[in-house]
Amino acid sequence: MTAVHQAVAGAGPYDAVSEQARAWRQLLSDAGYGGADYAGQVAPGTHGFESLAQLEPAPDDLIVIRYSAWSGALGRLLERPQRKLLVYHNITPPGYLWNHSPALAIQCAVGRIQLPAFARSARVVTADSDFNAGELHAAGADSVRVVPVLFEPGRLAALGRAPEGDGPLVLVVGRLVPNKRHDRVFSAFAAYQRECEPDARLLCVGPALNPPYAALMQTLADASGARNVRLAGGLAQDEVNAAYAEADVLLTLSEHEGFCVPLLEAFHFGVPVVAAPAGAVPGVAGQAALYTDGDAAVTAELIDLAVTDAELREELERRGGERLEHFAYERTAQAVRDAVGEALA
Amino acid sequence: MTRPEQAQEQARRSAELKRAEGRYAEATGAEALDDSILGGRAPAELLSEWAVIEIEPDLLYSTRRGGAPITALKRLLLRLMRQHLVELEARQTRFNLGLLAAFEQLERRVERLEGAAEATARRNE
Repeated sequence: MTAVHQAVAGAGPYDAVSEQARAWRQLLSDAGYGGADYAGQVAPGTHGFESLAQLEPAPDDLIVIRYSAWSGALGRLLERPQRKLLVYHNITPPGYLWNHSPALAIQCAVGRIQLPAFARSARVVTADSDFNAGELHAAGADSVRVVPVLFEPGRLAALGRAPEGDGPLVLVVGRLVPNKRHDRVFSAFAAYQRECEPDARLLCVGPALNPPYAALMQTLADASGARNVRLAGGLAQDEVNAAYAEADVLLTLSEHEGFCVPLLEAFHFGVPVVAAPAGAVPGVAGQAALYTDGDAAVTAELIDLAVTDAELREELERRGGERLEHFAYERTAQAVRDAVGEALA
Repeated sequence: MTRPEQAQEQARRSAELKRAEGRYAEATGAEALDDSILGGRAPAELLSEWAVIEIEPDLLYSTRRGGAPITALKRLLLRLMRQHLVELEARQTRFNLGLLAAFEQLERRVERLEGAAEATARRNE
């Protein structure tokens, strides 16, 4: 049996790259491929990954490198003779991280410098969005396949405990990291609460970069003057699902996004999206989101429109459904199988 | 009904009207995170701040479930190793500040040389 191994710099219980590795593993197993998933570092509570030091591939095996940050262990894979398939998930520009996590900033800075070497070493180069494909082209890759995120709606079915309270729920899903600009979220939400809906609630789901950054975000949230704000950290999938089911708006003011899976999750639940048109967001959401120009007052007014205009919500839900068809599981699964098939040919 | 394509324009008009009434006074667009390092080169002041190495106990933690005792143990070890770590911090800081000073000297020298070259070019015109 041909083995297809996957390698990532770091695996965690909630992050999108690890989720994708798990989704590909299921697909690869169904397609009859063997192999396992490896990570340079495995965070506590993460299942399904072994240490990258234990990877011993056979000569005919394929190594899928999921590239979102550099690690020495990942770099050493380039010296191996096995065929490789690169999946580029994007690397956060290090400028966002120097002040808050120097160690991660170094991984990102070296990761961006090393991107051309990773692209050169791979038989097949893929990116999960047109935005990421553009970065690969800029790094010198000639031929890039766009293989979107494998979006499997089955995991969104189970509903856990719903968020507490009444009033419109503004939901933000994504790690608390500087490029997601939660500081802007707090400003816009505070403006919305003051001017439009005093009972509104803000729920931010996603683990923080580190405890000091979590404390900084809590300080900024408090300083914004907004009430009913909850920074929930990482939640179990069923609780995230329950939050989507109750949400009135998904807000994303991220400044740099390689894909943004929460957009598809919001479309699945029929939740209107208010977003900053940055990175891959316009490519993924298309015309199914309301885009802000960055002014906190404009963002607040857009949230209000999305909450109160029933016909607008209906239209956004219809358009979101169309985007979901574009990213339908079987369609992307075929793209994955084609990319793996080409790398093994 | 508002079409999604018209929503931003409508929101902007509505925000302007409310601002004219004195509302949205606190939504000034000022941003909380330090923009000086977002994407660009860190200013010299910030570089000199980073050059001084100081291990903060707050940065020692464990993210494991029930990790509080591990965090406490790490911080105790830090205290026990304090004398040695202070020496290491000082040596690394000495190198960083030396490098920064050399870099600033070099930058000033390049500026002087560029100025002289421009003056020569103007004289020759």
